[in-house]
Amino acid sequence: MAQQAAKTDSFAVRHHFLIRRLHSLCGLVPIGVFLCIHLTVNASINAGAAEFETQVGYIHALGWLLKPVEIMFIFLPLLFHGVLGLQIWFSGQPNVSTYKYGGNFRYMFQRVTGGIAFVFILYHLWHMHWLGAPFGGGKFIAHGEGMTESAATAMQDVVFGVPASVLYGIGVLSAVYHLANGIWTSLITWGITIGPLAQRRAGYACSAFGVMLAVVGLSGVRGFKTFEPEADSHMVGVDTDVPPPFVKTVSDPGGS
Amino acid sequence: MSKQVTVAVKRQDTQTSGSRWETFSIPYEPGLNVTTILQRIAANPVTVEGESSTPVAFDACCLEEVCGACTMRVNGRVRQACTALVDNLLAEQPDRITLEPMTKFPVVRDLHVDRSAMFESLKRVHAWITADGYFDRGAAPRMSQDAQEDAYPLTTCMTCGCCVESCPQFNDGSSFIGPAAISQAVLFNEHPVGKFDANARMEVLAGDGGIADCGNAQNCLKVCPKNIPLTQSLAKAGRAATKYVISRFLQK
Repeated sequence: MAQQAAKTDSFAVRHHFLIRRLHSLCGLVPIGVFLCIHLTVNASINAGAAEFETQVGYIHALGWLLKPVEIMFIFLPLLFHGVLGLQIWFSGQPNVSTYKYGGNFRYMFQRVTGGIAFVFILYHLWHMHWLGAPFGGGKFIAHGEGMTESAATAMQDVVFGVPASVLYGIGVLSAVYHLANGIWTSLITWGITIGPLAQRRAGYACSAFGVMLAVVGLSGVRGFKTFEPEADSHMVGVDTDVPPPFVKTVSDPGGS
Repeated sequence: MSKQVTVAVKRQDTQTSGSRWETFSIPYEPGLNVTTILQRIAANPVTVEGESSTPVAFDACCLEEVCGACTMRVNGRVRQACTALVDNLLAEQPDRITLEPMTKFPVVRDLHVDRSAMFESLKRVHAWITADGYFDRGAAPRMSQDAQEDAYPLTTCMTCGCCVESCPQFNDGSSFIGPAAISQAVLFNEHPVGKFDANARMEVLAGDGGIADCGNAQNCLKVCPKNIPLTQSLAKAGRAATKYVISRFLQK
């Protein structure tokens, strides 16, 4: 007869299924959705500093709510997804050297890219986020005290040389692969794509999504790598556009 | 001198002893398969170094890829020895044929492994139809032609172990029951009488070691000698588990 989960089993064993499904869900919403927004906002630097600051402004319009939202919907899900993901990785025994099938490589890459993304996100948080400030990082400031800093000027201070660009490129591509393949496997996990044809079609759709998101993500990295504040009209104060009401920029020193 | 076939066999005397390689040289014959090679070695167990050895222990029964007993790793890849034809193997890798026991089961001796874990998984998922009980359940409802055609491939599973051998998620560190048992649970849950025990099977599929442990590497589909649509069964189990857990939560 089937064994029911016994009361003596650990919490993780009794709720194994729910924990795994929560892991899958977390990767899609909020983390996957956040990744799309984050990469799209960053890519807006290619349209100039003003556009980028407008986009950053929309996020920071949350004000004091930003930190609780960030913790609840980004950091906690990421930590849960990442730590459980590492445990899942180490519970498997990749065997691509013997079984050289496309699906098997996809399986291995899902774990490797997840690991790279996990390490990269830790570095990225140190590098850009206020969490990293006490440790000599935390370079990104959306709009600083005294209005001498802005999202785009802050990016000037960030060393975005070749090594950082390569690192960010690898991090972005890993995260994008992990999400695109994660969507494909989650469609199977949740029981949406059942047959081989449905799974193949979903594969095309997820690949197309992944390629598009990779282009968006890499264009953001390229945008910051090649960004020249001196050449950006917005940054030297000759921009005639009305700045968004909630974004205080260098070109608007008096504050409005 | 006639053409010889070099065969390297991974040998192990007892369940706990270490393993060693022995190499044999067998006269080539057209149509030779790996089971015959092992019989030729048994007839003259002398290694290429000229040392006297013992016949290689292996499991075999039907010799026509129906029972799954002779499953082993041939040139590193899991399959049945009886349908591993030497001509094809030499075309892939001309210098030698390697024979090893499966890695996911305890070795009894040489190429003979104990596949009890497969049968324990079948018992866990209640992979049978309860036909006898305290009362007569009457005639079973009829299955449609389509349902029969969907079910038939799943019934050809011979519990050989290829799927779990190639599955990166099935190992000592994981409680995953593997694709074969999950596919059988799906088969019996779709059967008009087997359905009566569907909830008992779903408890296992939606539990520790159940469908949530599938990693979607899909090696099982590639190595299955019976071409069973295992990934389809796994996805069906995923869908059924999603529905089952939600309705269990809402009906409590």
